[in-house]
Amino acid sequence: MDTNRRGFLGAMGRVSIGAAATVAGAGQSATAATDPDHRTHWGMVVDLRKCIGCQACTVACIMENDVPEDAFRTHVSVYELVKDGQDPAMVMLPRLCNHCDNPPCLPVCPVEATFKAENGEVLVDASKCVGCAYCVQACPYDARFINHETQVADKCTFCFHRTSVGLLPACVETCVGGARNFGDLNDPDSEVSRMLRENEVSVLRPEMHTNPNVYYIGLDEVLDGRVAGEAAYRPPLTGEAQATHGEGL
Amino acid sequence: MSTRRNILKGAAAAGALGTFGAGYAETLKKLAKGKWSGEVPNAALTGNSLTPEYVIDPDTGDLAMNPDIAMSYTMCIGCTTMCGVRVKVDKAQNKVLRVTGNPYSPMSTDPFIPYEASVKDSFLAMAQTGKGDGLTNRSTACGRGNAVLQQVDNPRRVLKPLKRVGPRGSGKWQTISFEQLIEEVVEGGDLFGEGRVAGLREIRDLKTPIKNGAPELGPRANGLVVMNCVDDGRDNLLLRWLKQSYGSTNFTRHGSYCGGAYRSGSGAMFGDFKKMPHAKPDFLEAEFVMFVGTAPGNAGNPFKRVGNLIAKARSDGKLDYVVVDPVLNNAQNGPSGDRSRWVPIKPGTDGALAMAIIGWMFDHDRINHAYLAQPSAAAAEAAGEPSWTNATHLVIVEEGHPRYGRFLRGSDIGLAVEGDAYSDVDPFLIASEAGPVPVGAEAAPLFFDGVVATAKGPVAVKTSLTLLREAAASRTLMEYSEACGIPVETIEGLATELTSHGRKAAVNSHGGMMSGSGFYNAYALMMINTLIGNLNWKGGTMIAGGWFPDNKGPAYDLAKFPGMVTPKGLPIGRNVPYEKTSEFKAKKAAGQAYPADGPWYPNAPGLATEWISSMVNHYPYGAEALIFRNTNPIYGVPGISHVVDRLKDPKVVPLIISVDPFINESSAISDYIVPDSVMYETWGFTKPWGGVATKATTARWPVIEPKMEKNAEGQRVGLETFLIATAKRMDLPGFGDQAIPDADGTLHPLNRAEDWYLRGAANVAMIGKTPVPEATDEDLELSNVARIRADLEAVLKPEEWRRAATIYAKGGRYENIERSYQGDKATYAFGAPMLVWNEGLGSFRRATTGTRMPGSPTWFEAEFADGSKVADHYPAADWPVKVMSFKSPLQNSYSVGAKALLRIIASNPVVLGRALAEAHGIANGDMVRLTTPGGSLESVAVVRDGIAPDTVAIEHGYGHKGFGAQDIMIDDDIWPADPRLATGVLLNDMGMVDPTRANTGVWVDPVSGTAVRQGLPARIERI
Repeated sequence: MDTNRRGFLGAMGRVSIGAAATVAGAGQSATAATDPDHRTHWGMVVDLRKCIGCQACTVACIMENDVPEDAFRTHVSVYELVKDGQDPAMVMLPRLCNHCDNPPCLPVCPVEATFKAENGEVLVDASKCVGCAYCVQACPYDARFINHETQVADKCTFCFHRTSVGLLPACVETCVGGARNFGDLNDPDSEVSRMLRENEVSVLRPEMHTNPNVYYIGLDEVLDGRVAGEAAYRPPLTGEAQATHGEGL
Repeated sequence: MSTRRNILKGAAAAGALGTFGAGYAETLKKLAKGKWSGEVPNAALTGNSLTPEYVIDPDTGDLAMNPDIAMSYTMCIGCTTMCGVRVKVDKAQNKVLRVTGNPYSPMSTDPFIPYEASVKDSFLAMAQTGKGDGLTNRSTACGRGNAVLQQVDNPRRVLKPLKRVGPRGSGKWQTISFEQLIEEVVEGGDLFGEGRVAGLREIRDLKTPIKNGAPELGPRANGLVVMNCVDDGRDNLLLRWLKQSYGSTNFTRHGSYCGGAYRSGSGAMFGDFKKMPHAKPDFLEAEFVMFVGTAPGNAGNPFKRVGNLIAKARSDGKLDYVVVDPVLNNAQNGPSGDRSRWVPIKPGTDGALAMAIIGWMFDHDRINHAYLAQPSAAAAEAAGEPSWTNATHLVIVEEGHPRYGRFLRGSDIGLAVEGDAYSDVDPFLIASEAGPVPVGAEAAPLFFDGVVATAKGPVAVKTSLTLLREAAASRTLMEYSEACGIPVETIEGLATELTSHGRKAAVNSHGGMMSGSGFYNAYALMMINTLIGNLNWKGGTMIAGGWFPDNKGPAYDLAKFPGMVTPKGLPIGRNVPYEKTSEFKAKKAAGQAYPADGPWYPNAPGLATEWISSMVNHYPYGAEALIFRNTNPIYGVPGISHVVDRLKDPKVVPLIISVDPFINESSAISDYIVPDSVMYETWGFTKPWGGVATKATTARWPVIEPKMEKNAEGQRVGLETFLIATAKRMDLPGFGDQAIPDADGTLHPLNRAEDWYLRGAANVAMIGKTPVPEATDEDLELSNVARIRADLEAVLKPEEWRRAATIYAKGGRYENIERSYQGDKATYAFGAPMLVWNEGLGSFRRATTGTRMPGSPTWFEAEFADGSKVADHYPAADWPVKVMSFKSPLQNSYSVGAKALLRIIASNPVVLGRALAEAHGIANGDMVRLTTPGGSLESVAVVRDGIAPDTVAIEHGYGHKGFGAQDIMIDDDIWPADPRLATGVLLNDMGMVDPTRANTGVWVDPVSGTAVRQGLPARIERI
């Protein structure tokens, strides 16, 4: 299991059982709202038990963010998992930028185009980016690509343009199974904080110590290094829809 | 010919630049600017992401709309589920930008928000301000639902009326005016230089029989036949035009080549072969469900609702479930561990599994005695049962008895009946110590097998349940196990689970039943629910809660009108008793009533599968004019490729008209194409098929201005304008200035689509004890119903229009979720009995054999029309593999043009198991040839573990020839083929005809007449 999460939880503290969940009509919980120093820290908890592999997130992201033809900002990899002595099983693994607190893409950027935003998002300033693709190489999650239209590094922003005005990321808003959950990890009353408290969670590529802000419930250890987008059960026929390293998810 | 081809090639190249030049232009710009100087995005941090639809003030929680954007609640038509969705529109560009769910709609949201919530509150519910950080009532669109808005802007949309140039199916068209279209199809003439074609006016002859000497077939007007896909909420107007105004009886939809076998099997138990009721498990309250031939969360209807509920039920809830399917699919979920399991089964053998379980339940006395023993509604009520069955009713089993297979009734034993014998007042009988007695309000014996005295002598009778037990016991558990390929201990485990949760266990099925044994397989699977006794119970199975109908309400009567006609005669698809025909009478008089010249299906609904056979063989009669309405049987019916050439012959069906936004495989062989609206441009009202326990009406309205050209009257050309214009030109009743009666009988006009749908909206709004509230100005503005406000005010009465506006502002009318249950039972219970024995089924004779079929579930190996076993024609030694198709999570038969989908799943390989692959030396990625008696295809092999032995599976939705997969020439323009649209293969191209039919027809199930695509005999080889 992921030691980073434990550290995070320890730092965050705990609320008593039975504390009110967030109240409809309020942007943040009472706990967070009464703290003048509170700073939102966005995170996602993906409950793999609830992913039905419908790819609504994938398509919504394409529509919302004008993702070019040859790339994905997010995607659901579909695996047929066969373990010794067990029946084959389907695993759907939603993947996106992990908005790491220790992002390997950041120090390699020669022009400081990639940066950590106030609420935890890892963003790219296209006006600074020179498209060198060092960050694309550095990302252990294969979450970045060079946008062939803009010629700059491109990736998931956690829908920065939406979350900053009170909306949910497009992929979360449209998640049919309710697998993708988004909220303020610094707010102990948030849904995502509750989910982290109440479930065993893990992260992708824990050995990289990236302190990701995307957590998974029900992630099989076999898959926690599976980020290169090779969908085991749909090998490419034409190469069109399959990712290769450096082309994003 | 070769010259023409060369010309086409040259034109294609030029057309490519002209029509699809954007991509090239982009590349050229980049080349000019140099490698690292791409297009400057709109924003440095968020690139070309969309501008948010509204912003919420973090301090006050107030919502401020983006003035350039409209957020409208309407309906998706990306599949048959037809979810309520929220559409984001760029008002200036008249363009749909994105879609997600409607939080009022149970099809998109669980739990859905109260209908009383204002539009503003619904917007807040879906943002961070909403309950549970906006996650609780999150409302969604699926992968396909997110993508299909691309169909609106699909460059291959038909926007002007088209008329074929050259032979049918040649791919060459000319644009014509709407007025020319109407004149030609109504008046006929030498339309194509091929001789005179009768127009709709001439065909509408309500007196002359369509066939000499066969008055039962009705008048010549029945020669106009309409093939529809699915009721997208526009069928009521089309049916009014066809049946009540024009006078033809012939209308059908796509069910017979979709999931009809399941619906028919369910209909057998629910006692209605025409409407075919069906129930769904109560996902959140059930403790164990066995899904067979249906894949919750992978595909199906209602796709998202079921997907959402199954995800919750297996993680937060209490449900364990098993998916029995030849192919492992997304319905199973590895991270959920043992709560979600997969059991492989041989294609088409589900009935063997079901009968094995039924047999085990009898053998282990795990049937629900208390439920099954109630012989009447009164007895059930007294026993606290929310449903009842005919398990105890006595069936005549005396060979040679004129009422063999029917229930013994009061009049049979000489009881005085106040009314006609065998009518509803003639009581069913149950066994007693004193012989047969009428059903009463008390429990009855479950089993009886003996001879009873009747007015006409002794007769052998058995209870329905006795017959079912005998059917189950006709094979051993081991025999059933061998038939379906599921080990005995697994079957016993499933049976044990199904009988260990009281009423909170269920079986569910759907489209996977489309095999040669599909009808009985489905009937058998559903019967397990009846033996459990779970219908109408919380945690058991429940029917849909119904809806607020649009066509007959307190405001307007859209169902009747002065001067309406009643269509007469037997339908072209032969879904009526053969014994009603002149052919039967003539053959009987000649000494041999059977076999008929072709099969008849008295226990089936309208059958598109059989229509094609009827039309190409003119049996029982032909069609003079065929209308395809947004439908595609030429793609969808397995084996139809064997008869398409005959359909293309204008001598066979002289006039074919398509109403369709696209040139698909079916509209491609028509004479005229009437362009139609797409998705968010159209009107309509729909109800859920199932899976929603409360009343729900989803409303659809044009949230953007449609793209089709306008006619001379300034209306957008489409289905409604076509129907209205043809009706008015023929002076048909029910259209024009005096067409729609209101509650006072005052007649209102039907001259344009708004006249029809807005009055429907008034009905939806006003029906019931309490009408919906009036829409506020804020509701109108936020939902952009302001766009149609002028029409609402012009068409409706002052006291109606704001209530109708609410229907559009909230995307429909939805009963609140609290109405799902009354205590531990369903609010909307199904009232008619579950039929353990269906006497219509148990007493009819197959027209092609003269033999009877069992009236209760049974394991029935696939047969052709003459009663011979399919396996004897195509033995396993020669055809060792079984081929099947499965539904895609993303693609359906009409979504290929939404190109975002092809980015995710680029094509469909053929899937086979490891052992089969090794036996044939096939490795992942090899090219293979798959051959059935009906055809052959070549594709890439994908070797998987999650598939049953000796099975090959093909994902549906690929292998197109239409939609732009081939060149289309319109006037002098070429719409060049896009190879991506043609990607992959189509199982239906290998579908089979029935070799025993004298009049060519595709292989169908003998009872339900439904197409066969599961379990085609085949062989595979590496190439």
